[in-house]
Amino acid sequence: MSVPASETQAPNVSFERERGVYAIQITRDVAHAEVALEDDSLRSVRILQVFRVLANSGVPIFLTKLHRAAITFAFVGADLPRVETALKTVGVQTSARRDLALIAVRAASMRDLSGVMVSIADALYAAGARLFETGDSHNSVVCLIEDAHTDAAVRHLRKTFHLDAGTVQVHHLGTEVSG
Amino acid sequence: MKIVVQKFGGTSVDRPENRALAAAKVIKAVESGLSPVVVVSAIGRKGAPYATDTLVSVLKDIDPQVPPAPRELDMMMACGEIISTAVFAHTLQTFGCKAIALSGGQAGIITDPEFGNARILEIRPHYLHRLIEQGYIPVVCGFQGITQPNDEYEHGAITTLGRGGSDTTASALGVALHASAVEIYTDVDGVKTADPDMVGAAKTLDVCTYEEVAEIAHQGAKVVHPRAAEIAMDHNIPLWVKSTFSDAPGTRITSNEAPDAVRQRLTGITHTGKLVYIRLEIDNAEHKPHVEREVYRMMARAGVNIFLVTFSPNALSFTVPRKLYPIARDLLDGMVVPIALDEPDSKGKLSAYYIFKFSQGLDLAYSVQRPLLAAVEKHVRIVDVPASVIENCTMVSVIASGHRRVPGIMALIYETLLNAKIAVHQIADSEMSVSFLLSEGDAQRAVRLLHARLFEK
Repeated sequence: MSVPASETQAPNVSFERERGVYAIQITRDVAHAEVALEDDSLRSVRILQVFRVLANSGVPIFLTKLHRAAITFAFVGADLPRVETALKTVGVQTSARRDLALIAVRAASMRDLSGVMVSIADALYAAGARLFETGDSHNSVVCLIEDAHTDAAVRHLRKTFHLDAGTVQVHHLGTEVSG
Repeated sequence: MKIVVQKFGGTSVDRPENRALAAAKVIKAVESGLSPVVVVSAIGRKGAPYATDTLVSVLKDIDPQVPPAPRELDMMMACGEIISTAVFAHTLQTFGCKAIALSGGQAGIITDPEFGNARILEIRPHYLHRLIEQGYIPVVCGFQGITQPNDEYEHGAITTLGRGGSDTTASALGVALHASAVEIYTDVDGVKTADPDMVGAAKTLDVCTYEEVAEIAHQGAKVVHPRAAEIAMDHNIPLWVKSTFSDAPGTRITSNEAPDAVRQRLTGITHTGKLVYIRLEIDNAEHKPHVEREVYRMMARAGVNIFLVTFSPNALSFTVPRKLYPIARDLLDGMVVPIALDEPDSKGKLSAYYIFKFSQGLDLAYSVQRPLLAAVEKHVRIVDVPASVIENCTMVSVIASGHRRVPGIMALIYETLLNAKIAVHQIADSEMSVSFLLSEGDAQRAVRLLHARLFEK
């Protein structure tokens, strides 16, 4: 049960990804809207109305979250005028802002790691960044914060997860630029 | 010399007739001029005599009060693949093939010493190459490796790779041997648009990207383990999912840079997880971030992974795996988060203590803890944090690459569920998928309806 002694070392190939956080991705000019909804029997129908009117206006949405008295979602900042116009036609009370950025903290098998969320929250708190919304998947935790706090947030996240500058990517409307 | 790595799962090697079918795939590769390297899993699934779970129970049953040490557990678990490898190599020999059985260590697979979830550090492929040059068909144990033979503490100890270990072995060997392809053989004829046991009309995808298959696997479909897909993706090794039991061409898994890769499309419907949704009412915007961080901290300390985290103005909601829910509840019930106030409030209180309270019957610690706080109430504002719970949830996901650039997907899915009167507790999305937290009882209907709406029209 051993590696034959005659063998020499194989070339330096990395087979499996490092476990834990390995990169940070920034997406700027993100907007976020909160649509107030009554917590009544028509709530689901109103949610569908909101989704439909946004679809008909050609606005893709993400980070959609259901709350008792509201629905919130994010979208590309440039779509803000279209979102406001569309939601007016449904007659729902809406508040929206466009000064946000998405910071994605990437890790292999994120859901097998405990403690990443607290590390992210501590880093953002230290950066003075309020967390507007968060999303998580198997390979990332995405945080929506004010764009003005992005640089500080990235600095604290890099320190927390021991990442060098090369691990930070800026994502502009589908185009990735190293930085 | 073109090498192909062929991996056969437990159900492909559990019976003589199935092993004969698997052997036929190997022989076909040889006849096509390829040099196959075979990777096998343990024979059979849970309950089978040499399945991993059965072997583990041999140790656990010695004294249920004393859990086996990870090192000995790995040594025991590795036996399943060793048995399977010897059986399959001999099966090939009975068909006239020059096959040789190898443990993970003999195949040169070196891992870190994290027993039970080891990571492959390197593969020394020279011995395998030599065997292939001599005309052998190496049959390698999946799921296992050894620590560095010269490691001071764990001298060449047997390790296991954790979940998806055999797929990971196959992909990593594919990289180390510069294989022309890695073929994962299973009991379905490729990557499906839904679980075929649940949706009879599920279709087999011809082509799928590494990202899609990793997402599908993470969201519950048992096709290729995401670790294996990630290795293949990082090294651009062509990966196939095929059936041992048919001649169907299977699904080719490729880079999204490939000419025939589709960058924006719906790939499938999956469902996963027995989950519990917890909602905490924190009615103070200023203190909420601090209280939230203490919740994360407490969960992290106990190793409870939380996900589907949602911030509402007055609440924090998240999901925990059902098996960890009792731990999460025990931690939160009666937990106190003290916050010092910058200046005394209108009633002269100097600090606020937030105490978590589940509904009656689940609030044992709260009912003990709360009266004790009466002693400090003169100086401290005591604030209850009501916790509500939705048990028996599961997550249904639509795998939709590029959905963040395509309007209308959310409306389409939500409408389908609403028309069927299926309540959506929460929504989550990633770059590759949109997921819905539903009651477990609605999952099958939701998967069928969404499949019919998205893939059968």
